[in-house]
Amino acid sequence: MNSSTAADRSGRWRSAVVAVALLAAATAACAVLDREISLMSQAMIYLLAVVAASYLLPRLAAVGSAIGAVAALNFFFVPPRYTLAVEHREHLIALAAMLAVALLVSYLSGALKRESAAARESESRAGQLASLAIDLAAAGSEDEAIDIGRRALLQRFAGPVLLVTSIDGAMATGVDVAEDVRRALRCCIDEAAILGPGTGRWPALEAWYVPLGTRGRVVGAARIEPALASDTIGREHAQAIAALVAQGVWRLRLLEANLAARAEVERQHVQATFLASVSHDLRTPLAAIVAAASSLEAQRSRLGEAEQGRMLAGIVAEARYLSAVTDNTLQLVRLSAGGPALRTEWQSLEEIVGSIVGRLRSRACAGRVRARVGRALPLVRGDATLLAQLATNLIDNALKYSDGAVDLTVVEQGGRLLVSVKDRGRGLAPGDESRVFEPFYRGRDTSEARGAGLGLALCRAIAVAHGGSLEVGRRARGGCRFTLALPVAEQPALEVPA
Amino acid sequence: MSIKVLIVEDDREIRGLLRTALAAEGFEVLTAVSVSEATALLAHDSPDLVVLDLGLPDGDGAQLVRVVRSRSAMPIIVASARHQEAEKISLLDEGADDYLTKPFGVSELLARIRVALRHRGTALQPATTRYAQGDLLIDVDAYRVERDGLALHLTPTEFKLAARLVRAGGRVVTHRQLLADVWGAEHVLDTHYLRLYMGQLRAKLEAVPSAPRHLLTETGVGYRLAVD
Repeated sequence: MNSSTAADRSGRWRSAVVAVALLAAATAACAVLDREISLMSQAMIYLLAVVAASYLLPRLAAVGSAIGAVAALNFFFVPPRYTLAVEHREHLIALAAMLAVALLVSYLSGALKRESAAARESESRAGQLASLAIDLAAAGSEDEAIDIGRRALLQRFAGPVLLVTSIDGAMATGVDVAEDVRRALRCCIDEAAILGPGTGRWPALEAWYVPLGTRGRVVGAARIEPALASDTIGREHAQAIAALVAQGVWRLRLLEANLAARAEVERQHVQATFLASVSHDLRTPLAAIVAAASSLEAQRSRLGEAEQGRMLAGIVAEARYLSAVTDNTLQLVRLSAGGPALRTEWQSLEEIVGSIVGRLRSRACAGRVRARVGRALPLVRGDATLLAQLATNLIDNALKYSDGAVDLTVVEQGGRLLVSVKDRGRGLAPGDESRVFEPFYRGRDTSEARGAGLGLALCRAIAVAHGGSLEVGRRARGGCRFTLALPVAEQPALEVPA
Repeated sequence: MSIKVLIVEDDREIRGLLRTALAAEGFEVLTAVSVSEATALLAHDSPDLVVLDLGLPDGDGAQLVRVVRSRSAMPIIVASARHQEAEKISLLDEGADDYLTKPFGVSELLARIRVALRHRGTALQPATTRYAQGDLLIDVDAYRVERDGLALHLTPTEFKLAARLVRAGGRVVTHRQLLADVWGAEHVLDTHYLRLYMGQLRAKLEAVPSAPRHLLTETGVGYRLAVD
């Protein structure tokens, strides 16, 4: 099995020493008691030594000590003493009977020992397989299952043990093995059959190659050493372990395929909703532009100066809106695709607010926005373009859903910078507080206003990407308040004089 | 003699519209659809200003900027879509004068062209050293800054920063250019210096620092002084 020749040799020596010691002890006992007991009792003492030897020693040593016991009894105690000759015929029969009994005892006790050892081993194997099955059921990944299988094999085999996985017959890449080993693994996977000593296939191999799984469902192969042709039990055990590991891996693959399929369905659903919403957001302004432009093209002579001006202004406004929707859409896709990390630098919110207010100045609604920025605010780490887009969206949203003033404030509070945008519009319907941030959600009664959906979803995505949060609440006397909270990190140092 | 503007743009519609719009303003308009055509036109027709679109089919605008800069101080205005931010900034750092983000209105384009032409030939003429607009006066040569006629005290660094913007005369100055010119080449990545000093400058020069009228932020790109 799994012991080397050197270990065999030293084991044999130990057996011989024990056998001789037992016989010497029996001889000494008989000699001491020589005057008090009969030859029959002396024979019993020797028999006792033989029984002990049969229990303690391997079969060969047990048989040797049986013969040795008869010889010693004959030599030391059967008259004429100190010869192997036997005087009485009766003694000869007794010695022959004793030899027979000694051999029988040694045989029986050897058989008993083997059976109990086999029972113990099969029990331990059953136990190992049961706990392996439990471990595999709990495995969360293929690698983990393979690792559990490897450890199970190493409990029984000295190793080395190698497990590789395959998908549709193709061995996993990155397995660094010698060419002949690779060929044997390949063949084992292709034929879904065990190879190696004692299997009738490729018996000259120095290891067993056990497929993980049955034909059509092979998920890999195991290479196991040492492999002895005579170790049928070990081979069967290896196959049992391989079958369990294969089952575990197969289960994980099915699970993964299942999850992937479900994620794909989900993804397609999101994509469909996304496309529907984006195309709505793009088509509406486009329709307005085409209507106004074609009217100007066809009816210019019949339209008054003021009407023409209104239409042209409408075309410009709609086109700008279209551009904003496109920016928001692209940015949202980029952020949710988990693309490259943010390009963060130290940013001043006063500056970002200033640039937004500056851009609003050219628009008619400029007077409605009132900005209030605290003094000496800390800097934040962030992407200026994204933060500006966030604040612009919040302001546009507030301007669109209300008629009055829109307040933009920036304050520092509790280690965070809070950017609030407040309006006095109709406010939110109860339950809309979290749903306004879902992509494509539109509040009720907003048929005339449009495009809020993506803008707020993008705002929240930007806030989250900056490690912050964006919440909305209803204001006490109507309207709503959006609050962006950004974490304030330790401020950068200046290394140069003022 | 009318001013010659070269438009390098591969989209036919936009090229046509810009040609019409600029011609209506009295410019002589040349157009090119590629970097190679633009290079040829630059050699023969010596325009006064270039409007360069990014993402041309036959190569990068940076090459064209380098070619122009090796010969003249002719103003270059870069027109880019939003996703070309990084390329745009690197072109500004290479020596382009200003930029426009697509989609842009004709009035924005005309404003940029006006600012750029004001500095035509800065290599020959003395650079702009005086900014007087609304309530603010910055006179670099006299080392003097006034708001509403009252002298303001600036620290040396604040003054250097303000002076650098004055010399650009309303054109955008990128973060990198400002950091290199005011703090030195080893500080080109320390954008927080700019945030802090611009904040201080605005507090001194602006009536409402959070709604600046002079020191304008070009988000993600740099700063410029507002001009009419």
